[in-house]
Amino acid sequence: MTKPAALSVKKISKHYQDGSRQIDVITDLSFSVAAGESVSVTGPSGSGKSTLLNLLAGLLELDNGDITLQLKDKTFSYRTANERSRTALRRQHIGYVYQFFNLVPTLTVLENVRLPARLNRRRDLESHASTLLAEFGLGDRLHDFPDVLSGGEQQRVAVARALLLKPPLLLADEPTGNLDAENSKHVADLLFSSCREQNISLVLATHSTDVAAMADTRLHLDSRLTPDKKSL
Amino acid sequence: MIALALLRFLARTPWSTAMALIGMALGVTSIVSVHLVSSSVSSRLDGLVPGPLAEYSHYLHRDKLNSAAYFTLRRSWRAGALPAVKQLSPFVDETTTLEGQSVRVLGADLLANPPSASTNTAAEQFSMNGAWVDQSLEGQLSIPVNGIIDAPKGTLLADIATAHDLLGWRADQLSYIGLALSDPFAGTIETAEKLLPGFGAGFPSAKPNLDLSPDWQLVSTAEQYPAREFGKSILFNISALGMLALLVAWLLIYQVAVSWLRRLWPVFDRLHVLGVEWQQLRLYFLFSIGLVATLAAALGLVAGWWLARWLLEMAVPGQEINLKLDSWVVFKAVGSAVAVCLLGGAWAFHQSQQTPGRRSLLVIITLVLLGGATWCVFQPQTGLAGGFFAIAALSLAASQMIAPLLIQLKQWASMIGGSYLLRIGAREALWHPGELSVAIAGLSLAIATAIGVALMVDSFRVDFSQMLDHRLKYDLIAQGDATALNELAHTNEPLTLASRVQVYRNTDIRVNGLSMELNTTRMDAFESSRYGYGASLATNNILLSEQAGKALRLSVGDTLAVSGETMTVSGLFSAFGDLKPRLIVDQGSPLAATIATELQIDSVAFTSDQPDALAASLREQFPALELRLQSDIRRVALKTFDQTFAITTVLITIALLVAAISVYIAVTTMRLNRQTGRQLLNTLGVNRAEQLLMNIALGTGLGLVAIIIALPLGILFGWILCNVINPRAFGWTIELQLSAEALLRSCTWGMLAAIAAGILQGGGREEGAFGER
Ligand SMILES: Nc1ncnc2c1ncn2[C@@H]1O[C@H](COP(=O)(O)OP(=O)(O)OP(=O)(O)O)[C@@H](O)[C@H]1O
Ligand SMILES: [Mg+2]
Repeated sequence: MTKPAALSVKKISKHYQDGSRQIDVITDLSFSVAAGESVSVTGPSGSGKSTLLNLLAGLLELDNGDITLQLKDKTFSYRTANERSRTALRRQHIGYVYQFFNLVPTLTVLENVRLPARLNRRRDLESHASTLLAEFGLGDRLHDFPDVLSGGEQQRVAVARALLLKPPLLLADEPTGNLDAENSKHVADLLFSSCREQNISLVLATHSTDVAAMADTRLHLDSRLTPDKKSL
Repeated sequence: MIALALLRFLARTPWSTAMALIGMALGVTSIVSVHLVSSSVSSRLDGLVPGPLAEYSHYLHRDKLNSAAYFTLRRSWRAGALPAVKQLSPFVDETTTLEGQSVRVLGADLLANPPSASTNTAAEQFSMNGAWVDQSLEGQLSIPVNGIIDAPKGTLLADIATAHDLLGWRADQLSYIGLALSDPFAGTIETAEKLLPGFGAGFPSAKPNLDLSPDWQLVSTAEQYPAREFGKSILFNISALGMLALLVAWLLIYQVAVSWLRRLWPVFDRLHVLGVEWQQLRLYFLFSIGLVATLAAALGLVAGWWLARWLLEMAVPGQEINLKLDSWVVFKAVGSAVAVCLLGGAWAFHQSQQTPGRRSLLVIITLVLLGGATWCVFQPQTGLAGGFFAIAALSLAASQMIAPLLIQLKQWASMIGGSYLLRIGAREALWHPGELSVAIAGLSLAIATAIGVALMVDSFRVDFSQMLDHRLKYDLIAQGDATALNELAHTNEPLTLASRVQVYRNTDIRVNGLSMELNTTRMDAFESSRYGYGASLATNNILLSEQAGKALRLSVGDTLAVSGETMTVSGLFSAFGDLKPRLIVDQGSPLAATIATELQIDSVAFTSDQPDALAASLREQFPALELRLQSDIRRVALKTFDQTFAITTVLITIALLVAAISVYIAVTTMRLNRQTGRQLLNTLGVNRAEQLLMNIALGTGLGLVAIIIALPLGILFGWILCNVINPRAFGWTIELQLSAEALLRSCTWGMLAAIAAGILQGGGREEGAFGER
């Protein structure tokens, strides 16, 4: 039985222009993710994992194809959206976790997690921020600035922030890439279980086979030489 | 290979590379333009002293000076009695009326030194009995003219004998003797003056101790030419400003060097890991920054020349402007750029390799500077140079305080509230003391300068307009044609429209050998109050202008002998802008009677309910008179005042601009090196307008930090200008007015400069600190 797709990617392509040379990073890629399901994106360095996630976040413009995201009341199509509406989409409906530099250095831990609520004028979610941080074992670090936190703690704060709005889509680009095995497991567990519980679609790029194995489906991006394999 | 790597890196980041060049060129531009403007004003002031007198530093006066006294003095000089005197020469110097023109006749020993005329007439016309005149007298006199000289309006130079004939003097009568005194500091002062035009006036010229009989009165050029001195002192105020602009520019250049290093550092770091020695890398760095500095200096010289020209055209429209890029200004510009770059760069390079520490040395230096400044402020004998030093020391000390202040403020950063985006922006201003403190120091200095000068000018203006209020008690003033004035003063017809008629007479007079102006008029209580004196002036009392008080070293209660009459000084009055020291006595005093024949009517003033009607009727009766309404005089006087100080506004604008660029460069570099979360915010969906808001918050934060330091510093500058520099320069005090408007105006401009730097930052997004991958 297949659930209806929350996120569908249809025959998208993306290239970069480096001087006169054209680098085709993604060609004719299609896949879809249902609500509450997770996809892990793997592949060698330079295979286009980050590029894909940036496309899904609307940070980059598509060359071809389309991405659609199912929202509560409508379906959002990336192809026709301008930069402004893609920015608004990110702000309201997408959570993002990077490998590092996830936190605004001049905001405290609590302020960092509350930031999406503030940006969306959702005062009702502000108290949720401290609950979430307490759940993640950071209840006593609320008023610290990020620079005094360990890498694992910083990633947990980042996950808390990405989850705060309960967005339909959460993107994570090597969220455990900087962590030791134990912390890595902790953060990955938080991500996968939270998304499953809250019916969030998760797309996670990683080099770790352990983390990749935790996903419902796996998407392997090969080197650009074999574009035909780049589909599920 | 290394050079190639660096070149590629620079070519890949053209925006930042261009900004470094432009920033540094702007620093040099400000140095050059401030220098040129000051030196142009300075040379115009020097023009007030006629060429033949330029080489004399002092003058000897005595009552009834004649050639016998001169030769006696010369004999004792030849015998070695006056070792400090290098040269001495007799002069005749008197203003007279020749062929209907008021002419200053200057007689000198021209056989010894013939004058250098800017244009000589044909050689066959040359006559030892002829004269040299300034431009304004060309073709006006029947006496043969040998050439045109650079001199003040209405000056005629001739040999002493010719001058005697023109003045109708006895053949042995002299005005004074010019002395060239050897001054061990003359060379130093001259160099200082060349480097910082206007600065020379700050050195106290010690009164040399000459072994002379008490009949002789020794007077310095400054005392002999109070107008020039007045101008030089204003210039000195401006050059205090110029020095600060120089400091701000240096900070900018240093900032550019540091930014340059910060940009290259990641490349260097990698190269070092690959085995390239630090020494070699430093050489590459210094070479590249030196190249930028040289290019920037060349650009800045040209731009500075244009800017100075434009400024002068605005400030003194219609005057011929002659700006020269002499070797001094080139030296100053190129020297500033290259030296600050190389030294600052080497220091920054050194710092980058080490963990920071050793603040204690800086603390000690700061304390020593502050101590020195305080001492100079309270020791009048340190002269203008002391006041100057205090300003410089305070500036340096204040710029040392920025980094500790930022560190302190950073600890309280979590207390900054408001919208999250504003928080991010404002806290960012405090977050990177190492990167931003130099730029903030520059901005702070620029704002403090603006505050100090605004306070000084505003206070000066208040005193000036107060003086005008005192003086301009009459509704109408008649001046001009002497016969018409005489008729008017002696008319028996009652002037029905006037409620009061006041006649002023004046004459030039020598007091203790000094040339002064003496006014006589009816000094009743109404008239006395114009000079801030409460009651009518007794016939044995005299009022002195502050300049006269200073020149004669007299204050209220002292006595003074003028033309054989002993008078008591009963008041000093301010007389900004007077050319000569001035004395005032009642027209019924014995002194006025003694010199009655020399007194001439200068003007007649009226109070009236209908000044316009009175003016109209007078104009009809005495068409030769110049009639001026009080309201017009006031307007013209204040306009002249504002024009004089207009140039300071422009100089401050330059300083603020330079500071803003410096902040901009610092912020760009800071973002380049630090992870500031901008990319992250984009991912979180913060849009352009919100990013702009954050940049404004950042600018405001930077501006606020700068103002915290600038406000007290600027008020101190203002206080020093009013209470230290001006009293030491002119002998008058300006009461410091802490006008909220002046403070607000300067702070607002500073804030706008900071915000502009913050917003501009949005344009430099070509190089992210980390990519999106
Ligand atoms: N802005 C850009 N300009 C030009 N080329 C780019 C740009 N961003 C990425 N690339 C190129 O696109 C390709 C894919 O990059 P991407 O960052 O998506 O790889 P990745 O799979 O995330 O690699 P990694 O595992 O190392 O993070 C790489 O070859 C990269 O050099
Ligand atoms: Mg990647």
